Amino acid sequence: MNKMQKALRELAEMDELAAQNSIIHRLCPTAKLLATVLYIAVVLSFGKYQLSGLAVLLLWPVLLFQLSGIPVHICFYKLRIVLPLVLAVGLFNPFFDRAILLRLGPLAVSGGFISMLTLMLKGLLCLMASFLLMATTNFDSLCASLRKLHIPGMLVTLLLLTYRYVGVMTEELAVMTEAYSLRAPGQKGLQVSAWGSFLGQLLLRSMDRAQELYASMLLRGYHEHFHYAPMKPFGPGDVVYLALSALFFLVLRFVPAAQLLGNLLLR
Amino acid sequence: MHMADALLAPTVAAAMYVASGTAAGVSIHKLRKEDAPQKLPVMAVSAALVFAGQMINYTIPGTGSSGHMCGGMLLSALLGPQAGFLSMIVILTIQCLFFADGGLMALGANIWNMAFYGCFVGYYLLWRPILRSRLFKGLGVKGAQRSRIILASVAGCVLTLQLGAFSVVLETSLSGITDLPLGAFCALMQPIHLAIGLIEGLITAAVLLFVYESRPELLSGLSPAEDSLPAKRSLKATVAILAVLVLMVGGGLSLLASSNPDGLEWALFGNADAGYSENMGLDEENFGVSSAAAEKAGAVQEVTSFLPDYAFQGSDSAAGTSVSGIVGSAMVAGAAVLICLAGGFFRRRKANSHKH
Amino acid sequence: MIQFQNVSFAYEPDRPVLQNLSFRIAPGESVGLIGANGAGKSTLMKLLLGLRQGEGRILVDGTELNKASLSEIRRKLGYVLQNSDNQMFMPTVYEDMMFAPLNYGLSREEAERRVDAVLERLGLEDLKHRHNHKLSGGEKRMAAIATILAMEPEAVLMDEPSSALDPYNRRIVINTIRSLPQTKLIASHDLDMILDTCDRVLLMSKGQLVADGPTEEILSDRALLEANRMELPFCLAGRTK
Repeated sequence: MNKMQKALRELAEMDELAAQNSIIHRLCPTAKLLATVLYIAVVLSFGKYQLSGLAVLLLWPVLLFQLSGIPVHICFYKLRIVLPLVLAVGLFNPFFDRAILLRLGPLAVSGGFISMLTLMLKGLLCLMASFLLMATTNFDSLCASLRKLHIPGMLVTLLLLTYRYVGVMTEELAVMTEAYSLRAPGQKGLQVSAWGSFLGQLLLRSMDRAQELYASMLLRGYHEHFHYAPMKPFGPGDVVYLALSALFFLVLRFVPAAQLLGNLLLR
Repeated sequence: MHMADALLAPTVAAAMYVASGTAAGVSIHKLRKEDAPQKLPVMAVSAALVFAGQMINYTIPGTGSSGHMCGGMLLSALLGPQAGFLSMIVILTIQCLFFADGGLMALGANIWNMAFYGCFVGYYLLWRPILRSRLFKGLGVKGAQRSRIILASVAGCVLTLQLGAFSVVLETSLSGITDLPLGAFCALMQPIHLAIGLIEGLITAAVLLFVYESRPELLSGLSPAEDSLPAKRSLKATVAILAVLVLMVGGGLSLLASSNPDGLEWALFGNADAGYSENMGLDEENFGVSSAAAEKAGAVQEVTSFLPDYAFQGSDSAAGTSVSGIVGSAMVAGAAVLICLAGGFFRRRKANSHKH
Repeated sequence: MIQFQNVSFAYEPDRPVLQNLSFRIAPGESVGLIGANGAGKSTLMKLLLGLRQGEGRILVDGTELNKASLSEIRRKLGYVLQNSDNQMFMPTVYEDMMFAPLNYGLSREEAERRVDAVLERLGLEDLKHRHNHKLSGGEKRMAAIATILAMEPEAVLMDEPSSALDPYNRRIVINTIRSLPQTKLIASHDLDMILDTCDRVLLMSKGQLVADGPTEEILSDRALLEANRMELPFCLAGRTK
C-alpha cells in the first residue's frame, strides 16, 4: 500500500467515525468547535513547568472519548506525526535547563525534564481535542458552521470543494504511483526524468476537470452562491455542553486541582 | 515544517492567526474584485492535486534518499498569488483537521510559514520579476524562458523556505517552548531547509517546465499584460529588496537576541559563559545595538512572553511541580481510568440490551 | 423541443469541429448520438448547453439560445456528464441533489421533497446520505442521473451513460433511461444500449451529420457503420442487412 492509499484510508476512517451516532455526535458543530478551540487555548496557556496543572485537563478528552464511543487507538496512530515534531524541539530542554525542580527521594528531576514532559503532554492533549472534534463532526456540517461563524464564503466553499476532490486526486495519484512502480521495480521514488511530467500530466488533466466541474455547476444554476448543509440548531444541550466545558477549563486553569488533591491526600 | 499546537503559546498563535487572516482577507477581496467565478473550481482541483502531490516521493539523484514538495510556489505560479494562497490555506486546513499534520491553534502560524512566503514573497519578489526580466537573453526565446522558470523556482523556494524556517524558530522561541538558544535553533533549521528548499525548487521547476512546454497559457505572471499593476520591477530593484530583507531579518534577529537575553533565554550573543558568541565569531560590543530600538524590542517581548514563562503567576507554586502535584496527577489518572471503565460498562450493557 | 439550424463550430478557424448541422428533436423523443472518437458528439452537447458558442441557430422549445435566454434554457436541460466525479462536487449525494433546486429558488422543504421523490422513483433511498467519494462506479452513475433528475429538466442529455459499468449496473442504467418520460439525447459508443433506449439515431462523422433515421435501420446497416469507423451492435452482428 503506498502513502496515498494510506491517506485515503485515513480519510475514510474519519468519515466513518463522524457518521456514528452518540450524544457528542449529535451536538451542534459550532459548540464543539468553540469548546475545542477554547480547550486547546487553555492547554497552551499553561507554563512550561506546570505539568500537574495540565494533567487534570486530560479528563475532558477522556470523558469525550467515552461518551462518543470513539476508539482511542486511532488517535494514538496520529501521534506518529505530532510526537516526533514536539520531541525534536523538547528533547533539548533537559540539556539546557538543568536546574533541579523536584526531588523524589534520591531522584532529582530537572526543570528541562519537566518542561519536556509538559510539552509532550500538551501535544497529546491538543491532538486528542482536535481529533475528537473531527471524529464526532461530519465535515459538511462543520463547514456550514464555519460559515455561520463568518468565515468568508469563498474560503468555506473552496474548503468543501477541495475536500471533495482530495479523495479523487489522491486516488488518481495512487493509481499512477502504482503504475509507475510496476514499470520501475526497485525504485523507491520518482526518478529525475519523471519529476515534471508525473505531476504535470495529472495537473493538465486536472485543469480540464476543473472546467468540466465548473460547467456542471453552471448547468445547475450556480451563481456565486453555495448552499451549505442544513445546520443543526444551537440548542439548549449545546449551551449546556459549551458552558460546562468552559467552566471546567477555566476552573482548572486557575485552581491547581492536582496540587490540592495531593495535599489533601498527603496530609 | 508543520508546527504542532504544543509548540506555540496562545498569544503567538493568535498573532499568527491575525497575520494570516489579514492576508487571506486581502486575497479574498482582490479575487472578488477580479470576479472570475470559474477560478474557484480550478483552485479547488489544484489544491486537491497539490495535497496529493505532497505525498509523491521524488528520488534525489546520487543520494538514495527522497524529497517532497510543499507546493506554495507551484500554486501561485499557476493560479496567481492570491488564489494560490487561498488554495494553500485549504490544503493546510485539511491536513490539520484530518491528518493531525499541524494543529488547530497552529494553523495561523503554519499558513504564514508555509503559504504566505511561498505565495506572496516568492511570487512578487522573485517569480514575476525574473520571468519578465531579460535574463538569459542569449538562449533564444524558449531557452531563455525555460532558464528563467528554473531560476525563479529554485530561488523562490530557497528564499521562502528560509523565511518559513526562520519563522518557525522565531515563533517557537517567542512562545518560550524551547530552551534551545535561538542561534543554535537557527543553526539547526536553516541549513536543513536550504537543502529542502533546493529540492522543492527543482521539483517545482520540473513541473512548471512541463506545463510551460504543453500549455504555457496556464502559467501566471508570464506576460506583463495580464495584470494592470504597473510594478514592472527591474531585477536590480529585486536584488536591492532582497538585500534589505536579509539585513532586516539579520538585524531583527540580533536585536531580539541582545536586547533581552533572558526572554529569549540564550540568544546569539546571550550566554557569554558558554563562549557561544565567540564560537560563532561574533562580538557583542562591536555590534552596536541602538538602545531605543532595543527597548522597543524589549517591550514587544514583554507583551508576547507574558504567558509562557511567567504564566498566570501564583496559580501554581513557584517552580510549578511538587510532590503533591504528582500525587494529585496520579489521582487524576485514576479518575480517567474509572471513566473509561464506566464507559465500557455502559456500552456493553447497551449492546447486550440490543441483543435481547 | 431541440432544433439545430446550420450550426458550425471551430476551435481554430481552419479546423472545423462541427459543420453545418441541422436536425430537430421532437418532445418526448429518444435520440441516440453515435460516431467515432472526435466526431464532434461532445462538442454538439456543449453547444446545446451554451458552454461553447458557434455559428448558426440553436432553438430549445422554440426559444433561440443566446446570452439572454441561456439560464432559462439551461434550466430545461439536464446534462449527465461522463465522469460522475466531475458532476458531483458536493460531499454527499443528498447535498448534490439539493444543489440545483436550491439554486433555482426552491425552499429547502420543497427541494428535499423533490429529492426524496427522485430517489424513491429510482430506488436509491439508501444512497441519500452516502458520501460521493465512497460510492461504487454503478452507484455513482445512478446518483449522477438522480442529481440531474432532481432539476426536473424537460430534456436529458447524457454522455456515455453506460461506460465502465458492469453488465448488471449497465442494465439498471438502461432500464432507468427507458423509464424517463423526458426528451433524451444520448451520446454513446455502446450501440447495444442505444438500440435498447433510442427510437432514432444521429450518426456523426468528422463534424458532419451523415445519417439520421430509425435506430434499427441505421444500426443494422453494416456498410454505413463501417464507413464511419463503427461496427454492428453485438446483438445484430449475426444478421446482416
